[in-house]
Amino acid sequence: MTIQTVGVVGSGTMGSGIAQTCVQHGFRVFLYDLNDAIVQKAFTQIKKRLNRLVEKGKMEEQTFQDSISRIETCTDLSLMKACDLVIEAVPEKINIKKEIFQALDEHCPEQTILTTNTSSFSVTEIASVTKTGERVAGLHFFNPVPLMPLVEIVRGVKTSEDTLKKLAQFVSSLHKDPVVCEDTPGFIVNRIARPFYNEALKIAGERLAKPEQIDRIMKKAGRFKMGPFELQDLIGIDVNFSTTETVYNSFFGEERFRPHYLQQRMVQSGKLGRKAGEGYYPYEN
Amino acid sequence: MKTKSFTVKVAGEGSLADSIIAQLRETGHQLEDQSAVHSNFDIVIETTNLDIDQKKKLLVEIEKTLPKETVILSTCLGVTATETASWLQHPERLVGFAAFFPWEDCELVELAPALQTEKENVEKAKQFFEEVGKEVEVVEDGVGLVFPRILSLIINEAAFALTEGVASAEDIDKAMMKGTNYPMGPLRWADHIGIDDVYAVLAGMFKETGEDRYRPAPFIKKMVYAKWFGKKTGRGFYQYD
Repeated sequence: MTIQTVGVVGSGTMGSGIAQTCVQHGFRVFLYDLNDAIVQKAFTQIKKRLNRLVEKGKMEEQTFQDSISRIETCTDLSLMKACDLVIEAVPEKINIKKEIFQALDEHCPEQTILTTNTSSFSVTEIASVTKTGERVAGLHFFNPVPLMPLVEIVRGVKTSEDTLKKLAQFVSSLHKDPVVCEDTPGFIVNRIARPFYNEALKIAGERLAKPEQIDRIMKKAGRFKMGPFELQDLIGIDVNFSTTETVYNSFFGEERFRPHYLQQRMVQSGKLGRKAGEGYYPYEN
Repeated sequence: MKTKSFTVKVAGEGSLADSIIAQLRETGHQLEDQSAVHSNFDIVIETTNLDIDQKKKLLVEIEKTLPKETVILSTCLGVTATETASWLQHPERLVGFAAFFPWEDCELVELAPALQTEKENVEKAKQFFEEVGKEVEVVEDGVGLVFPRILSLIINEAAFALTEGVASAEDIDKAMMKGTNYPMGPLRWADHIGIDDVYAVLAGMFKETGEDRYRPAPFIKKMVYAKWFGKKTGRGFYQYD
């Protein structure tokens, strides 16, 4: 079986980015969300983004038409039975995810691969509500999905080799780079990147250097494209803080991941970064 | 503007010394080798990081030959500038700095005065680094200062993840470059810097603070014992010919 039809459950930023990337690479997509208004809005966004590519001369008009004709929106989860692969990308609430996987497990034939785009939860936990953990895996995309080349394929305790192999092929056919990792907190990127933010915050908290200085040093001595504070402003300080909290809690309070109160104060103050007009730096919106 | 030429002596172990010497030669500064006995140096640069006792011995020896105006620039990767200054007869002459190999890739050098450092010596140090083409950022004294401290912790986490079997070294490096735009994967980066210098920062932070957060990954510690220092010894997280 080769993957041809992909179901995307959840049409937020990640879900619609995943759906867009799939249709751009020739896959048929069923895009699901709770009601028609939400999912139509996401579809309109996808059309807009693809249209911008046409305007910029980066995509042929015909390719655009072909791509959008491959998307079908739906509000009925049982339609996922027509898919070879389902990617769940709903908000990070464990109970919602478990309900969805239970339903998917019932609706989908056993050859359908079921994946979650979670960055916070254990794939093994999500798979535990299904009768068929072998076909369940993590498929962790990065934001913005159409641009970021990495996909982490996460092996749950029960995930089969065959499932992993098919997912790696699928990721490559999206012209992205797959890496396989074990079902451990933060997987690879969200775990190893923690000190970039956390230690920078600790250094700022110890008044050894100012955030602007730390950003300058990391770019000019370390050749990072962005410093830890300007990058938090871009990502959203609340989003970054919540990733840190999740990794910290998933490691049962391992000290290396302990969040910093300075970051929490930023969240509490509503200075969340660029989207709020102010974070560590002021922005003119 | 007339550029100032400094007479410089470079001493110590670690990856940095050789590349600093090479750059000073290129930029036309008077360079004295480690065995030079005369004492007319404007600046002495000392770069030992792994063995702090050795660093202390070396600095004490060097200071005996110096007039008291000579400024000593000493790396504070594994120890604070303030502790380093405490070993000297004239602690006010010491200025800490931090950089990771390769020296030619870093546009910017971090300087940190010790508590004992005299202000004018910080200015001299700044002038010197600017003269050899580096930007300077003056920060407060602390083990590893900013960039080496942050990067060493990223490398430490990558080493923990590797030994826990989260993913292969290649995949860890690939993930950090493609998933979050790092200029190099942390494990290969560590091999380039030198595992000895990375370990010096981690062990120094751990000793200084007693916080488990800085505990060196056991595998990095083993690599140091086995002299798997990275590219320069042919073996680190990867193998080199």
